[in-house]
Order: sequence, then C-alpha cells, then structure tokens
Amino acid sequence: MKPVKIAMMGMTHGHTRKYYQTLLENQKLDWVASCAADENAKAVYELYKTGVPCYLDPEKMLSEHPDIEAIVIASANEKHFEEMKFCAERGIHILSMKIPTFDMDQYDKMIEMVDKADIVCQIELEMHYNPVVKRLQQEIASGKLGKLLAVQATNITLSPVWAFPWQGSPEASYGKRVPLAPGDKRFRGGALCDHPHIFDLIRWLTGSDFDTVFAQVAPNLRKELEVEDMLMAAGKLKDGTAFLFDPSWSRLEERLKVPGPGWEVFPKRMEVNLTITGEKGMIQCDCFGPNVYHNGAPNDRYTVQYTYFDEWVGLIDEFVDCIRNHKQPKINLKWHKRTIECMNACYESIQSGRTARV
Amino acid sequence: MCEKMNRSLAFLREKYGCPAGEIVQGTEFFELALPSGDRLPLLPWRVERRFVELKKIVDGKTLEDVSTFRFASFSAGGDAVKSAARELDLASFLAGSSVKQLFAVRNGETACNILARLENGMSASVECGINLPAGAAVLDRHEIIARRGVASDRTVDTQVPQSSIYEWTGAGLQTFTDVDTELFGLPNEQIWIVRAAFAALMDPALAGAWTAAAAAMKRYAEAIVRSDSENQPVQL
Repeated sequence: MKPVKIAMMGMTHGHTRKYYQTLLENQKLDWVASCAADENAKAVYELYKTGVPCYLDPEKMLSEHPDIEAIVIASANEKHFEEMKFCAERGIHILSMKIPTFDMDQYDKMIEMVDKADIVCQIELEMHYNPVVKRLQQEIASGKLGKLLAVQATNITLSPVWAFPWQGSPEASYGKRVPLAPGDKRFRGGALCDHPHIFDLIRWLTGSDFDTVFAQVAPNLRKELEVEDMLMAAGKLKDGTAFLFDPSWSRLEERLKVPGPGWEVFPKRMEVNLTITGEKGMIQCDCFGPNVYHNGAPNDRYTVQYTYFDEWVGLIDEFVDCIRNHKQPKINLKWHKRTIECMNACYESIQSGRTARV
Repeated sequence: MCEKMNRSLAFLREKYGCPAGEIVQGTEFFELALPSGDRLPLLPWRVERRFVELKKIVDGKTLEDVSTFRFASFSAGGDAVKSAARELDLASFLAGSSVKQLFAVRNGETACNILARLENGMSASVECGINLPAGAAVLDRHEIIARRGVASDRTVDTQVPQSSIYEWTGAGLQTFTDVDTELFGLPNEQIWIVRAAFAALMDPALAGAWTAAAAAMKRYAEAIVRSDSENQPVQL
C-alpha cells in the first residue's frame, strides 16, 4: 500500500505531540510537513525535533508539498471550521480533534463540505483504540451483564490551559462568549469542551442515545479562569440507562508552558473510569491503569507514570485504512453530532437550572 | 502457541517493515530463529512495558542514586530457581550492571529467597515461590529504592496487582488487564514474547546482549543452588 502523505496543522492542541511517534513510525504514512498557527506553536513544535519541516502558512506548506493527501487538524476548537474548509476545498482528508465545533450550523456545514468533497473526516476520539475500552465493549456486547441499567464515568484531568491558553478562552474553546448562567461570571468553555469521551462512549456501549440531561457547575478550583473547570452531568438515555458523568478539570497542575515531567500535582493527572451496572452483573473499569509509580524528580511527589498509552496507533491505522479503501471512519462527523448535542444540552441545563432534552 | 504468536509477529513485521524471523520454542526460553540459521533467546520481561517504564525512570534520573531493588514473584507452579534467576536478570537490566554476588536460601523446591550485590554496588532482594493454587495469576512486585525517590509497579497501599477491569456476574469475579491494542486478543505473556521478537528484529544489537544475559541467568541459577547447599554467599 502506498504510504499516505500526511501533514499536521495548528500544533496548538494538547494532543499534538501525541501524534509524533506514530506519524514517524507507521510505514503506511509519510509525514511530510507541519504548519503551526503562530511562532509560539512553531517554537514548541521544534523542541520535539521530529525532523519534519514546519511552516506558518498553510498555502506555502501545500505549495512546497503539493502531494499532501491528509491533514491532522491539531488546533483550537474555533479554528476547526476554517481549517476543515481549507482541506475540503482541496480534497484533503481530515483527522479532526475531538470537538469539531459547538456551533450546530457550522457543524452541519462541515458535514456538507466533507460529503461534497467526498473525503474522509475522522474525529479523534482515541478512547476507542484503548485496549481496555476494547475489552469493555467486548464484555458488554457478550451480554454477560444483561441489559445495562446505569453508567457512571469520569473523564477528569488537570487543566491544560497554562500550556494551551486557548482552552481557557470562551471564544477559542466554545466558539463564542456565552455566560454560563444568570449571575455567574464565567462563560461556556473549559473542562466540558475538553472532555467529550464519556459522552461518546456511553452511546457505543449501550447502543442507545441521549434523552435528557441535567448539569451543574461547581465553584472553580482555579479562580483566574473565566470558563468552568468543575462540573457534573446526570441524565437518562432513551433506553432508560441512568448516567452520571464527571468531565472536570479536578486535578491540579503545575502551570508549565510546555507539558513535561512534574506537570501533575495530584498523582494521576488523567483518569477515565467507568462503573457499569447491568441486570446480571457489574463492571468497574480504569481505562488508564494500572501503571507504574514513583516519587522522584522533579518534584518528589507521588506520580503515576502512564505505562500503556498507544491509542494513537490504532486511530491512525483506521484513518489510513479509510483513506486507502474509501471507508467511513467509526467516529465520523455524523455519528459524533449527537455527542456534541448532548454537551450543548449540558450548557443549556447549566444556564436554565433545569433538565434539558437532547 | 507459536503459530499464533508468529501470526502476530508477521502483522508487526509487515506494518513496520522489519526483517524476517520466527518465534520457536527453545529449551529454556522462546527463541527467535533468523533466516541465517542463528537463534537468539527472547527475554520478554525486558520489553514488558512496566519494566520499560521503570528503566526509563532509572535511566532518566527520575530516581537518583539507586540503592536497592526489592523484587518478588510468586506463581502457581514453575521453577522457583529459574524465576529467581529471571528476577536477578531484571534487576541487572534495570541497574545496567551484572550480579557480582548472591546468597540464597531455599526450602525444598517451593521457595527461594535471595540477597544479591551488583557490580555497581547496588543491592537486590528477590523473593520467589511457586505455591499459589493452580489457576492463580502471578503475584509480583518490583520496587526500586533510591536516595531520591522510590518507584514501583505496584501502587501504594496495595498488596496485590491491580487490574483494569473487574467484572462481577453470577459466575463470580473476572478481571482483565489488556495492555496492547495492536496485539489485542493474545494473552499478555504471549504479547511480551511477540514484542521481544519484534524488538530483536528491529534492533540487531539486542542479540548479543540477550545471549549474554541468558548465559548469565544460567550462572545465577547454578549459584542459587550452590549458595543454598553451602549456606554461603557465592561470587559470580
């Protein structure tokens, strides 16, 4: 199979660096170029010494590398629409970060552009390629638990805003400046905009869809932020499954400009745990554990050293397969739309103080 | 077993474009058979991700001035002496230094305790046993103690390995710890054998290191038996 000529764009998303190893090692890819959003992003990119040239102008990148077939859009949420448009107009396949946009008009236009251009647009929801999630899906599908009754899940992390400031901006993370609720000085954007995984996983695991949701924010842990960092959501699926989600930035962090050792204050900086109750049994699942642990340099704090972390390998494999064999990715724009609609419904619920229908 | 592992190895070889080789059953270890006719022993624990991470922690100076390796491995059956020799190899691998002296105490074939000294002055203790009931998973622990920091593959305040998934049904409790998306479906012990073969194919320099380590493990096993029978430390 001819390797796919691939590029990256933006380089400001927190997941950017996680692609480097896979893009360099996978023989089915030829990573030819990157294009940073600004000089800062380029400077950070160059710290990783990938050997892949980095541009600041996407047109220049394409003129130098006219054979680029696919682009990983690794940028702030507010940039996704324009960047997708750029790709679709040129027939370039897209791997989008996990939030294409929260603006549903824009979202529909994205679907239209992608359909019209007949390109692959895969959404990066890497949990699907996590071996623990794969086992979880298999166990549930086996019917051992019977019909699912309830799902509780965490998608909790430290806040990446100090390294990726756009994640603390209402405009850049949510897309516009919308107050969270009457009398609340904060705006939509932040933790919820960073954590779609559990909203997506429950749909895969149950085969059902959201019905209603109630969400509430808590006082922020980081007083400087003008977006939410602590919230919870509870609701029901159409098949009756009750859920409770925690998508907070509830783990504190050192305010590093570039993620690296010593970033975490709480030992485990990122957790996706699920508790699933069925009519015939129950599962407890830690998607990122067990690991190894230390309390060494740089801060002498007890720290989880993540040990099994290869989601991007499977994700890229699927992307390449879809491009070369003209397939629709599992997580495509149309599938993902209901997940985004539920996240928007969480914001509506926070605003109204009432349950929102999804 | 080899057939299934070789199918997985072929998948990795094709995906990452690496040379030919086949996993075969050797007398002591699984081995990698090369088209040249050479065979090299596979030491899967050296590519097991938790140990790779522990090595990164040591080599990257997250721990400073390592003093002691405190290892344990208990299994349902097997050979306690060979288990202990493997644990000594692991200590040697993580320390980047070979074993200079060991003192072993055994009680029949079931239990084996060792105190060892490495060439670089670091100390190691190894506790091994083979008396877990049939079907029980291996119970092990690897702790590295340094002047700056302690690292372990077991989390604080626990005595047994944790799992990723705990599933309770009418059939009782079942646990799962899946560690490799590309090789999903293979049992973990086979995953590490495939990964070891793949690593050896990708990095020919491993052949010499692993052959030497396998020979050293044989010496460790002989020294364990001798030390126990003489009730004295043995120099290596």
